[in-house]
Amino acid sequence: MSLPLPALRIEAETLAKSLPRLSAQTRASQAVHLGSAGRKRAGSGEDFWEYRRYAQEDDVARIDWRRSARGDTLFVRETELETARSFYMYADAHEGFNWTGNNSRATKADRARIIMMALANLLSREGERVGVLGSGQPAAFGKRALERLYRQIATPERNQLITPKHSGTVIIASDFYDPVATWQGRLAPIAAKCRDGILLAVADPVEIDFPFKGRTRFTRTGSTFQRILGRAETLQADYSEKLSENRDAMAALAANLGWRFITHSTGDTNLNGGSLLRQTLLELGHKT
Amino acid sequence: MTLGPFLFLAPWALIGLIALPIIWWLLRATPPMPKEADLPSLRLLDGVEPREETPAQTPWWVLLLRLSAAALAMIGLAQPIYAPGADTRSADEGALLLIIDDGWQSAPRFNELVDAARAQLDTVDRDTPLHLMTTAPRSLPIDPALRSSRQEMNQRLAGLQPQAWRVDHSDALARLEASGLQPGRILWATSGLETGDTQAFADALVGLAPLSIYAAPPRSAFAITGLTADAKGALATLARASTDTEAAIYVSALSRDGTAIATAQANFEEGSLTGGARFEIPPAALTRAERFRITGAQGASTLWLWDSAARRQRVSLVSDGETAQPLLSDVHYVRRALAPFSVINEGTLGDVLSAEPDAIVLTDIGQIPPDEAAALTEWVEAGGALIRFAGPRLAAQGDKLTPVPLRRASRALGGALAWDEPQSLAPYAQSSPFFGLPVPEDATIRQQVLASPVPDIDRKTWARLEDGSPLVTAAPLGAGTLILYHTTAGPDWSDLPYSGVFVEMLRRSIAAGKGQRIDTEDGLYAPSLILDGYGLLEAPSDIAAPLKATDFLETSPSQTHPAGLYQGPAGARALNVAADYTPIPVTTWPAGATLLGDAETQSFPFAGLLLGLALILIAIDLFVALGTAGRLPRLGRQVATALIMIGLTGLVIPYEAIAQTDDTLSEEERILEAAFELHFGYVITGNAETDKRSREGMETLSLILAQRTSITPEMPHGLDLETAPLELYPLIYFAVPENAAPLSNTAISRLNTYIRTGGALLIDTRNGSSLGVDSDFSGLQALLEGLDAPALAPVPKDHVLTRSFYLLDEFQGRYANRRLWIEASTVTPGERRGDGVSGLFVGDADWASAWAGDERGRALYGVDGGILAREYALRFGINLVMHVLTGNYKEDQVHLPILLERLGEAPPEDNSPQFPTDEEQDNEPEE
Repeated sequence: MSLPLPALRIEAETLAKSLPRLSAQTRASQAVHLGSAGRKRAGSGEDFWEYRRYAQEDDVARIDWRRSARGDTLFVRETELETARSFYMYADAHEGFNWTGNNSRATKADRARIIMMALANLLSREGERVGVLGSGQPAAFGKRALERLYRQIATPERNQLITPKHSGTVIIASDFYDPVATWQGRLAPIAAKCRDGILLAVADPVEIDFPFKGRTRFTRTGSTFQRILGRAETLQADYSEKLSENRDAMAALAANLGWRFITHSTGDTNLNGGSLLRQTLLELGHKT
Repeated sequence: MTLGPFLFLAPWALIGLIALPIIWWLLRATPPMPKEADLPSLRLLDGVEPREETPAQTPWWVLLLRLSAAALAMIGLAQPIYAPGADTRSADEGALLLIIDDGWQSAPRFNELVDAARAQLDTVDRDTPLHLMTTAPRSLPIDPALRSSRQEMNQRLAGLQPQAWRVDHSDALARLEASGLQPGRILWATSGLETGDTQAFADALVGLAPLSIYAAPPRSAFAITGLTADAKGALATLARASTDTEAAIYVSALSRDGTAIATAQANFEEGSLTGGARFEIPPAALTRAERFRITGAQGASTLWLWDSAARRQRVSLVSDGETAQPLLSDVHYVRRALAPFSVINEGTLGDVLSAEPDAIVLTDIGQIPPDEAAALTEWVEAGGALIRFAGPRLAAQGDKLTPVPLRRASRALGGALAWDEPQSLAPYAQSSPFFGLPVPEDATIRQQVLASPVPDIDRKTWARLEDGSPLVTAAPLGAGTLILYHTTAGPDWSDLPYSGVFVEMLRRSIAAGKGQRIDTEDGLYAPSLILDGYGLLEAPSDIAAPLKATDFLETSPSQTHPAGLYQGPAGARALNVAADYTPIPVTTWPAGATLLGDAETQSFPFAGLLLGLALILIAIDLFVALGTAGRLPRLGRQVATALIMIGLTGLVIPYEAIAQTDDTLSEEERILEAAFELHFGYVITGNAETDKRSREGMETLSLILAQRTSITPEMPHGLDLETAPLELYPLIYFAVPENAAPLSNTAISRLNTYIRTGGALLIDTRNGSSLGVDSDFSGLQALLEGLDAPALAPVPKDHVLTRSFYLLDEFQGRYANRRLWIEASTVTPGERRGDGVSGLFVGDADWASAWAGDERGRALYGVDGGILAREYALRFGINLVMHVLTGNYKEDQVHLPILLERLGEAPPEDNSPQFPTDEEQDNEPEE
């Protein structure tokens, strides 16, 4: 059902190549403090930034004695501020997520993975830390971290909705069909740690359109539950209403948490989903 | 119950049709099987109640399908019958009388007559009294007053058979009136041919009750009305009932055992009811014909029995060699007299005896050499008729082979020195076979040989002169007869040869030959084989009575004197059904009668068809149900494949059937081919693969033989061991298929004859691939159970087979190093029959496959050892054919050293004959 890792990877890297860079030159990127580039101000970092006069509140240990010995004034050595943000990705491991209404389309989970892998690729190139939520390993820099993310995100068991040890931006992909209260319970602890988050709702066109007619027995993947509808078409209006209710409620929940809620249909292209997620990431920086 | 042209045997079942609306409503109410759908987002609908649970409608065509299935089943259970001829005029009628003409004219379409009667049964109520009458007179006629139930009537109708004699309508009418039956309705199923009083009968029936007539005149030629034979062949005259017959009609001449000797097409003049079929076959073949039959027709009249009086007999004339004045020779007169009705061959006594004629005519031969006399006596005792004519030589010195002892002189009448006037014939005695012939007034006898007076001379005399002296005497000898004409066959001694009676006398004389010897003591002809209504020969029943010879011509067949062969003093005589018959179709029927057409006399029960259709519809419905339930798509491809396979099979099978019958010549053409050209044979075993290989192998061998040797055989023939003329083939290849069924006794005995009479049979078990033994004949014993196989031995090293054309060391086939077994040679060469050629060659090397080649001579099948080995296999084939055809001719070369020595030349040094061998000079075999 789900694509093998190499296939996902090819799709993801193709997508990453066709998306514009998350450029550090933009205003938004600066605001977001993307990358480990110097922030042009003093802070914690490796590189020398400036010597400044010793102030009362400074720790004595911070005095740079070699510089201070040249004159009478005590100098403190400041390094340039360097920051790198962490991004935690999560693809829902539920069986119903790994489903497609038409075998010619990718499953929802695959689509979510491709998009997240592509974005992780972009982020990694900008020097951000990336990792998989619940993998037990912190987000990290570099190629190896990216490879690790590729592997882990394609392994459902490594995706768990647990609060990361370090704060960062969380990207959670699911169909969000469980009741909103359930989701609130799951997301609230994470939101407490991570200020920024994106909820990526991926849905199949069949789930959006509900194109069923006549007597139909419905089953739900991943559960033994089934339901027979005598005339499925009569429920289409109800279904659409329920779906939009769900979407609205999820958007409201995301807003409460200070997060973003975006939706994507597998009927659309990878590029569609990728640029949407990228755009949202940029906006996230803008907000900050 | 009737409904238009339909009858219902169980009309109450139709009430079930009322249930159809209920079924319709039920079907509408029953929901169809749900579709299956998988939807993770179904979670969203938790707690939402469906607005309307009214099931979707069953599709209209499913509804239609199910309703038609139900309706068909109900109508089928009502047992409908299509009977357009049902007579609804008088539903309240009394008894129904069925009259069926069962004379010989009805035989060709008798089943239709009976079906017409049976269809009529379907049109009446169950309780209607049914009566049956047949019109061919019988000793125990069917009583029309006998009332039958419907079931009984069906059985009685099924038991009816056409008779081999004519109907008698006045007799039938008399019987009907005598029975006192007052039918309410009459069906008369008749042949539609006038039998003399048919019109009167019809009129009487119309007066009795409403009459339906079903007339079924024979469609095609239905009777052979006569047969005449002359020197060029025979002409069968035929009768037909209508002039618009289009199909070609063939008449076959059959021999005693029923095999067709010749077939001729019948010609009818436009608009004429009579025609003829002309057989252009040599008289020798014609004499073997005993019956003539219209091919593909049934009925006693389609078979013409040809009795010995009419059949041509084989007569041999022994000439005295005197041909200086052919028109005066005695033989000439006999020849001219016999030529129209017998097959004549001439020659010396030894020659003609080997031809096994029915009669031998000796004209004035005095002394027969003792050894020939012995052979002649043997032949007469076996049933021949020896007819001798007197003459100067017989008068001078007669021998013992005369019916009466003769005086050693001839008696001249009316000569210058004689008292007596030339005498003419006296009337024949009643007991004489000549009785009935006219007595020639003008024929006078001038000279004769005289019989010695013996006590039984009267009994032995067939014809005498006016003065009482015997002119023709006869005496039995063994199973045969000696007949002596006491005068010459030519005009030297009498005028008798000029007379027409002479021909008749000769005919009756030769009729005495071959078991049809005239017995003077019994003038009765007893039936020996009679015809049944369908034209099949059977043993006479008890009722069949003997017939006086004098009544024979006046008798028309009846139950007491059925048509058939009658055995009597002058041989077998035939009483034919339709002798001199002229067909007169009845064209005007009484005005009051209803004439039924063919369609109206048929009834067709529909119950099975309708129920079957209902079942098919239900089966379709099952698939539809499966389809709507989504269970079918997985089947789809397999079902389609299966259907395609079935379709292809349907296409392929007829094609193959055609292909197989395509290239077979007719049996006669093959026999002619095989007789005129050299053909080899192979046995058709029924195993297609084996037969194909045999054919290919023999074809290639024949081609190679034609290329390399002076033997130019034609393409081989496949032979059916039970029917093919094996003796025409010098070599027959018999590839034994695996697990072959044992040959039939006929095949075995024919093979035995073939081998004994000098044929060569090459049996190939094709088991050569089995290792460990050098010949594998497993299964051969069972297959050839009963084959009179001589003792077999492996081919010796110096056998002529190894050098009859090529020099060979072994007999390579498809398998190498296999052994060939032939008849063990007997000790003394003189005892070997067939010039030392073994009748039987048995091996297992699969030679045919090795020989088989395509049109360019390339091997079709792999051979052990490759191209060279195949070449050796072909050389073996050539050697074998050479050996079979030339015998031990090459064996004489064994004596070459001795011959050379005798000629004074030193024998070759290596003590073996020096041939130019093909090993040394490739492709230049010694010849």
